[in-house]
Amino acid sequence: MPPIDCEDQELLEGFLTETTELIEKLDDDLITLEKASGDTELMNRIFRSIHTIKGASSFLGFDLLVKVAHKTEDVLNRLRKGELVVTPEIMDVILEATDLVKLLVGDIKAGDIQEREIDGTIAKLLPFLSENAGAAQKAAEPVQPVPDTPQPQVVETPVSNVQPSSEAVPVPESAPESVAAPPQPQPQPQPAPVPAPKPAADVAPKKTPAPPKAADSKGDDLSDNSTVRVDVKRLDDLMNQVGELVLERNRMIQINQDLQQGEADRPDFQEEFGKLTKRMSFVTSELQMQVLKMRMIPVEKVFKKFPRIVRSMSRDLGKEVDLQIFGEETELDRSVVDEIGDPLIHLIRNAMDHGLESPDERMAAGKSRVGTLVLAAVHEGNQIIISIKDDGRGIDTERVGRKAIEKGLLTEEQLAALSQREMFDLIFLPGFSTKEKATDLSGRGVGMDVVKTNIKKLNGLIEIKSEKGQGSEFILRLPLTLAIIQSLLVEVEGEVYSIPLSSVLETIRVDQRKFHMIGGQEVLKLRDMVLPLIRLQKVFNVQQRGESEDFCYVVVVGAADKRMGLVVTRLVGQQEVAIKSLGNYLANIPGIAGSTILGDGRVTLIVDPVGMIEGNE
Amino acid sequence: MQDALVPVKADDAHGELIQLVSFNLDQEEYGVDVLKVREIIRMPVVTRVPNTPHYVEGVINLRGKVIPIISMRKKFGLMEAENDKQTRIMVMDVEGELMGFIVDAVSEVIRISGSEIQPSPAVVTGGIDQECIAGVINQAERLLVLLKLEMMFSRDEKKFFSGM
Repeated sequence: MPPIDCEDQELLEGFLTETTELIEKLDDDLITLEKASGDTELMNRIFRSIHTIKGASSFLGFDLLVKVAHKTEDVLNRLRKGELVVTPEIMDVILEATDLVKLLVGDIKAGDIQEREIDGTIAKLLPFLSENAGAAQKAAEPVQPVPDTPQPQVVETPVSNVQPSSEAVPVPESAPESVAAPPQPQPQPQPAPVPAPKPAADVAPKKTPAPPKAADSKGDDLSDNSTVRVDVKRLDDLMNQVGELVLERNRMIQINQDLQQGEADRPDFQEEFGKLTKRMSFVTSELQMQVLKMRMIPVEKVFKKFPRIVRSMSRDLGKEVDLQIFGEETELDRSVVDEIGDPLIHLIRNAMDHGLESPDERMAAGKSRVGTLVLAAVHEGNQIIISIKDDGRGIDTERVGRKAIEKGLLTEEQLAALSQREMFDLIFLPGFSTKEKATDLSGRGVGMDVVKTNIKKLNGLIEIKSEKGQGSEFILRLPLTLAIIQSLLVEVEGEVYSIPLSSVLETIRVDQRKFHMIGGQEVLKLRDMVLPLIRLQKVFNVQQRGESEDFCYVVVVGAADKRMGLVVTRLVGQQEVAIKSLGNYLANIPGIAGSTILGDGRVTLIVDPVGMIEGNE
Repeated sequence: MQDALVPVKADDAHGELIQLVSFNLDQEEYGVDVLKVREIIRMPVVTRVPNTPHYVEGVINLRGKVIPIISMRKKFGLMEAENDKQTRIMVMDVEGELMGFIVDAVSEVIRISGSEIQPSPAVVTGGIDQECIAGVINQAERLLVLLKLEMMFSRDEKKFFSGM
């Protein structure tokens, strides 16, 4: 195994980016192919991908990778030519090979090439390649320099090049090595070159349009988000905006000079300054939009790995699942995309393992054998809503309750007082699991806790809808971006706090004498509901300044279906603020979501209403 | 970091030359490794942060970055003092995280050789946790307490900070 001998780091990086992209797409395509095996376009695409990987890695001298890719390509080639038929068995092997390719690429990426065991996988691929002993023998010969694939950009190393001497096997699934298939009359003088020109021709143009394609950010590796590809057009737009900003800055310098020279008394000075401010604010918000757009990537990036997961899980669990994905083009901020992968995997595992029943159970319950799992994403205002819905057995609240008591997570009395909703919420408790035994899929009671924590970290909400026997739906509500939010500035005895506008339902000015006390909890009668109140002054230990007034403001905030009133001294106004982290040391203060910097340069804390509502329970 | 701050290798056997920033706190003089100090600023407006340990004064805006401010006096259990013209915030790198520490005054950058650092006597410092004292420097007429920033916060405190 040669070390990474590419002096040209750029070349290597290019290879890695491209290969990673191809592999990601490949997984998805393969799963699709299994369902739609007649799709020749898809088949060709898959073939081209693996072919490109092979070509590029051989160019760079990654021999192991070439070997695996080559064998996979051969199998795919036979599938493509209709010599083999797509079966789950073949797919298993191909997927295994793809995994191996991933692993090898991962090694290269880590700059740490190891001698991996690849023979096992290759051995599994071989049966699909050879039709008779002669072919098998040929395959065993180490070097068989077939004048292979005349690609323009790729130097093909003559690795143990098994170009199957190529008789078609009529019954492909059963193609064992020993099938002495009667040599078909069809003479194939040059096995390789026949298919080769086509992929080569296809590969080349495919490479060129790659950058524009990144516009929809089919982009980079899931595990490595350190680089971004941006549509050139978006970049141009950004440049234009920056150009305007520069002009406005010059204007500002000019105005400042005028001011210095005492020309501020000119009658039009004020007007000019006003105009400048307006233009500045316009350009800045445009700029903000542009940058935000660049950060947006389709949720597809996360979704596309799920068909594979669902496939392998359904095979492991012996369940039949039809995964339907909607709205994968929905865009959201990359920081959010990076964070939702894990929770979604947990939710999908959960649905597969706990939600959906086995085919027999389903039949018994009068449902179709095949369970449905729907993964959907949609925009709603400033939020994105992702739902994972199955038509399985639903959440058995009784069982959940019993388990919770067994595990000592709550007492009988507490349980009795819970509403249906709150029962559902029990499954998010750390350590909760209805499974008697932990399997490698689930049962350790960690998953849902992870989901909850991660979603909370994103300022998101999670809702559960479930009906016994009918299925469950997990609904995630996530902010589009974590960087900039609309917020309501409020004053609490001289200190200014910022409340995310997304959770604010209304604000009211009330007389404090109208507050009531119920069981030590201050409440306010608001129309037909009783609103629990939290005095920010108390929870934040703000010093009283001067006389307390009778009138104060109540900011009604809501999370899911819970409402709560935050009592503040004064409303300051609405502002769009950029969220700044408080750093690791102060990251976990209850009730505080972060901080922001106001126009005057002072730091203001952002209140976390969701945390407060939950903390108050 | 500026070039001047790169530690100078001494060519004799006295060990490495270390540069320290010395600062005052309640009559005593302390020193920290100059490489840990990012900048020294005057007191800006500090935004209080609720529900934090008492020695966390709040946060400030350091050119667009929000960093926590810690009162050295409170941290070390010393008498509180009014901020005056001499009061400074030393912005330091504590295990990769920027933090500001309020000190009474910052005096100078001094060079010492490693061999001048003596282990701190067992009972030396009233309220100060022994943990974060790397040693004592006894130079002619002055006595300097050398602080180890990474030991500023005990494990419990870090636990408080990083997850509750």
